Amino acid sequence: MKSLRRDISSNPQAANVTSKVFVRSTKSGKVQKIVRELYLRQDIPCSSKLCSLCPSIAPADANGNIAPFVLSDRPAGTKAFPRGHYLFPDTNALLNGMDLFEHTGAFYDVVILQTVLEELRNQSLPLYNRLLSLIKTDEKRFYLFFNEFRLETHVRRGPEESINDRNDRAVRTVASWYEEHLRVSAKKSKKEKFVPAMVVITDDKDSIRKAKAENVTALSLADYVAGLEDSEKLLDMISEAREARDTKDSARGELFYPEYYSMSKLMTGLRAGTLHQGVFNVSPYNYLEGSIKVPAFDKPLLILGRDNSNRAISSDVVVIELLPKDQWKSPSAKIVDEEAVTKNDNPDTDESEAVVTDRERKALQEEAKQAHGKNSEGNPQPTAKVVGVIKRNWRQYVGHVDSNSTASHAGRRQQTVFVLPMEKRVPKIRVRTRQASELIGQRIVVTIDSWDRDSRYPTGHYIRSLGELETKGAETEALLLEYDVQYKPFPKSVLDCLPAEGHDWKVPASKEDKGWNGRRDLRDLLICSIDPPGCQDIDDALHARPLPNGNFEVGVHIADVSHFVKPNNAMDLEASVRGTTVYLVDKRIDMLPHLLGTDLCSLKPYVERYAFSVIWEVTPNAEIVSSNFTKSVIRSREAFSYEQAQLRIDDPSQTDELTESMRNLLRFSKILRQKRYDAGALNLASPEVRIEAGDEAGDPLTDVKTKAMLETNSLVEEFMLLANITVATKVYESFSQTALLRRHATPPPQNFEDLTNQLAKKRGMELDVSSSGALANSLDRCVDPENPFFNTLVRILATRCMTSAEYFCAGAHAESEFRHYGLASPIYTHFTSPIRRYADLLVHRQLASAIGYEGEDGHAVIEGVSTRGKLEDICRNINYRHRNAQFAGRASIEYYVGQALKARGEKMAAGGTDTGIDEEGYVMRVFENGVVVFVPRFGIEGVVRLEDFVLPGESGIYSVAERRELAVHRTTDFDSEEYTVRVSEKNHPEKERSVQVELFQRVKVNISSVKEEGRGAGKRRVRVLITG
Amino acid sequence: MSNQRQASSASQVPHLSPAELSYLYSSLSLPKTPIRPDGRSPTQFRPLTAETNILPGTNGSARIGFADGTQAIVGVKAEVEKTVLANETLARNDGGAGLDRGEQEGSAAVGGHGSWVQMSIEIPGFRDDDALPVFLSEMMRESLVGAVGTREASDMAGGLKERLVINKRWHWRLYIDVLLLSQPLAYPLPLLSLTTHLALLSTKLPKRKSQGEEDPFFDDDWAVAEYLYPRPSLSSGKTNSTGSSFVRPPVTLLVISVGENIIFDPNREEIAVADAVLAISITRDSEAGTLKLLSIRTVDPPSRLTQPGVPNSENVSMLGAVAPTEDVAVLNPATGEEEVPGVWRPRRGGVKRSVIAEMVKTALKKGGVGEEVLEGLEGVEVS
Repeated sequence: MKSLRRDISSNPQAANVTSKVFVRSTKSGKVQKIVRELYLRQDIPCSSKLCSLCPSIAPADANGNIAPFVLSDRPAGTKAFPRGHYLFPDTNALLNGMDLFEHTGAFYDVVILQTVLEELRNQSLPLYNRLLSLIKTDEKRFYLFFNEFRLETHVRRGPEESINDRNDRAVRTVASWYEEHLRVSAKKSKKEKFVPAMVVITDDKDSIRKAKAENVTALSLADYVAGLEDSEKLLDMISEAREARDTKDSARGELFYPEYYSMSKLMTGLRAGTLHQGVFNVSPYNYLEGSIKVPAFDKPLLILGRDNSNRAISSDVVVIELLPKDQWKSPSAKIVDEEAVTKNDNPDTDESEAVVTDRERKALQEEAKQAHGKNSEGNPQPTAKVVGVIKRNWRQYVGHVDSNSTASHAGRRQQTVFVLPMEKRVPKIRVRTRQASELIGQRIVVTIDSWDRDSRYPTGHYIRSLGELETKGAETEALLLEYDVQYKPFPKSVLDCLPAEGHDWKVPASKEDKGWNGRRDLRDLLICSIDPPGCQDIDDALHARPLPNGNFEVGVHIADVSHFVKPNNAMDLEASVRGTTVYLVDKRIDMLPHLLGTDLCSLKPYVERYAFSVIWEVTPNAEIVSSNFTKSVIRSREAFSYEQAQLRIDDPSQTDELTESMRNLLRFSKILRQKRYDAGALNLASPEVRIEAGDEAGDPLTDVKTKAMLETNSLVEEFMLLANITVATKVYESFSQTALLRRHATPPPQNFEDLTNQLAKKRGMELDVSSSGALANSLDRCVDPENPFFNTLVRILATRCMTSAEYFCAGAHAESEFRHYGLASPIYTHFTSPIRRYADLLVHRQLASAIGYEGEDGHAVIEGVSTRGKLEDICRNINYRHRNAQFAGRASIEYYVGQALKARGEKMAAGGTDTGIDEEGYVMRVFENGVVVFVPRFGIEGVVRLEDFVLPGESGIYSVAERRELAVHRTTDFDSEEYTVRVSEKNHPEKERSVQVELFQRVKVNISSVKEEGRGAGKRRVRVLITG
Repeated sequence: MSNQRQASSASQVPHLSPAELSYLYSSLSLPKTPIRPDGRSPTQFRPLTAETNILPGTNGSARIGFADGTQAIVGVKAEVEKTVLANETLARNDGGAGLDRGEQEGSAAVGGHGSWVQMSIEIPGFRDDDALPVFLSEMMRESLVGAVGTREASDMAGGLKERLVINKRWHWRLYIDVLLLSQPLAYPLPLLSLTTHLALLSTKLPKRKSQGEEDPFFDDDWAVAEYLYPRPSLSSGKTNSTGSSFVRPPVTLLVISVGENIIFDPNREEIAVADAVLAISITRDSEAGTLKLLSIRTVDPPSRLTQPGVPNSENVSMLGAVAPTEDVAVLNPATGEEEVPGVWRPRRGGVKRSVIAEMVKTALKKGGVGEEVLEGLEGVEVS
């Protein structure tokens, strides 16, 4: 019997064709063998400007141009490579040193292999994205080389060769091919002297050894960096993960944390429903307590203590296992700060420490006692432990070095320090650095690399310094980084998308111009805009005029941003990433370039502007007869501030048409508002203050103002709501699957449980949460004649019980779920602020397509509005950006208030002592060892700890340190049923010498800004003292 | 067309005259030294070419081509499937189709199920519900799932069925697609069986990363996938080149008897005159290192449907033309029927017990046909 097997080599075509085989497991549990054919080519350029061969073979695009070559012909050299060098990092080098590669001082002319990029994507998506953006920028000269498709550099995996070895070999093969290729091409053009060195960067010792054998230069990342200038700073930026692993292997320390389950065990458990998946959230008041919302339970599950949270960090996606019922507990009634408990931990040594230190255990036990004692409010809640992590959502954290953790005179020796992140919910991060002494007192950015079982704290590395603590620049940047706001200036590619005319752009004079296609001429309408004072980006303008039939025509005109921002160009992509404009106290981070936002799109008065108009015909009773949408050209007659508009309306001597039309608008808005409340809309309150940056000399605190509501505010608001609702209906009609809408889910009644109990107990009031209308009515009844602010306080608390509104794509939910709970509208979207919100811009495009607007060049612009998958991605992003923008705005105000108080304090101190400001505050929450007080004057919430209660008979105010001493002498009597806490001194239980505080109580507080140690350093905690 | 349908029991009957049939029969039935039309010895197989892994998208595949131009391709695909909980009882009931060993094994803690192996055969000119493809696939499937190793060979103790069990809740389902590329010149069973054997030898399953009762979870590296029929490890394979201690998929051989002679791998003409056609499934007995018999199936001999020749003595047109003595009927030693030499009589299908015993012996004995075939197939480089 004869057998015959065809040999690959016998096939002349085979060299160009190869295949890639792998196993793919699908979500549905299928396991498939996938075979991809690869066709190898020889026209992939090396992209070195030195090369004389590649420009002739590189593939050209339709216009006959080839992509510009990236790698410099005179790359930078080092001592070791005086003729310059190209770098070929392998995947591990990028994993460990991405921050280095991003560094602007070194690492130019880098060749990234396709193999490496793909491997990186499998290992870490964030790093992959960072590398992609590096490749995109021109200045760093990173070149993505498609080595797998080039005949000479394609590497067939050998028998018994591991994937890692094969990929390492691919890097070396490419390096040696470059060497050979450039040598040959340089010989031709007689430039042999300039051929740079090819340096493979790898941390794999075996690969370095093999490279030596193959005559390829290979260096470890650390060795390479050591040869650069400024190496100390750079060395700090190498990820600690690998190094830590190396050293730990030799002396395996004590394992603090339980091991995670294997991936397959997690998957089995998740499918079977024995394990649950959710996002890990840490309580802002107690760093040892986390909660996870999972679909299987109404209430979030509690994760108590470090061993149960098992190395999860806030916002990680984790898998949890329920604990047995006898370990269920009530949520903590205590304020626990990390730095207070673990102050003395030494970053260098882990020995002799259990995961749960005695101090931590004590903090937890007290809770347990409390949960079991009495008949505490509610039943114990289910608790759980983390058994696996699906996705780490680690990002870069802004923080500062804990000065207690540094050795006093370590010199330049490398040492380990703790970095305290600004975000309270993130544990301190152990960072090894050679520049500890310089970093103290700086705002720095660090990242977490790993958290091993044998380490109490996560390990990370230093990235960069933002500047000194408490300087305005550093703190603002820190804030923007913390809330992931894109604050870099717009790149050139974006600015290139702006109209060439710049500020001189005008609406074309001739109606024959294509810009007038499909536009109505509304220039003769008496349109005006009403905005906050000093507003530059005017999104909206209004008009109203009587019709011959006795009805009125009312129009809302919105800046036609979609005319200027075409789908899928660089500007559109940038805007979709930014998602929203972020307003800080003294800074605005725009979504769109300045030129558009404040000029071309802005509906400025007296000039012609493109607009997108919604025009209704309404009866004198504000019944809507018909609605109409059109692109238009308008000319605003006046831009009012709320106050100016109010004055003009109220002034009976003004009887011109414009004022009349505003009066009509106001009248309609009142009717609409009433209708909305009748339908059950909520009037919610948020603790907002606004800051009017006044002159420098005055008392900065006077700039802090609570937002005043004028009638004209609600005039604009009502019509914007109406426009949004009308547009939402129209868009949904046309795009039943892809309409971009906004919903506010009905909150589950259990969210209100605590608040309902508290109100019933303390005030005998009832909160009916059966519907938004019922809630609105019962909120109206929550009035305390003694305490005018009480109603607002309840509204603030009620708002916090609700879910937040979100953008979504119509196909993602059933129509009954579209409801906007707060506005009591069955459907809603955002249409009226396209300058500052990306969602509105998308809705503009959808509406334009829905009304058959064909654009100036005649074909409809429906790209980007028709694929649901893409829209869902956008929704996810803009929801996230929107939330972050709000947080950033609030944090900015908080910082400003702190700074204002500080400035005031310093001024006072110059003339005597800093006595702070006496204000009124309201107790929002009562803990076993403190309370949270809300101060409406500044819109701030302050945690009042034991030491910050001023007891009767106590004299004056002490410094922070002195007060801290007081804490140990104090004791509390906490009644979780009555929501009261009595603070007294340990040896003086007499009533006269103690202070009792209860929920909702109005208290006198003294506010001052104090320099805080530990976590909040630089942020200037606003200290609130309860004085009675 | 009706002719072709009828041919479902064996391949199409070649159009041979009774005289040709008779000539063929007498040459093949020459005692001890049969003369085959193509000059082969009775146990000699037709030369074939074989290659494996020709279909990259499958888990395992093979192609075999005989020198006469018949070719077959087999592809094996594996899929993960959830085990229906009641499978153990089902396995026991279903196993009753004559698989005694299988049934005993099925009562063990983890039972595989015969229906996890699905085989479909496509033959040009036949519909997939025609008798021939259905019969052939069932015949091959049955020996496949019935083949059981011994307890020592831990991995394959329960044969293929057990190998497909991942854990209590999951198993592999095997789809074996057999494609005959040419018109079936001879009865296609040997070709298909050999190709299937080879394809199964080259079949790999992704390496499992999960353990025990967890939901299965696999390594995405195909290079570490494991053979369905485990290989001898490299070191031991060198010393023990036959690799006889490993379970192998069975092969089904087609054997015919003509007179007292036993002929392997018959071609179409030979089958047309066979007294009996047998399909013998054999596999290696991993314990003894020898071959063992899995099943014997008789196939309807097509010679039954041929037209009989007429002896001169009964031929009216020849009346008196020849001497009556020439036409004396003699007893055929193999079938025990009276026949006139040189005159074709359709075969009835009966065969003596001793002939069958001889067939089995020839197939199984050490150094016999079976071993030769299996070794030949193992010699095909599986990569």
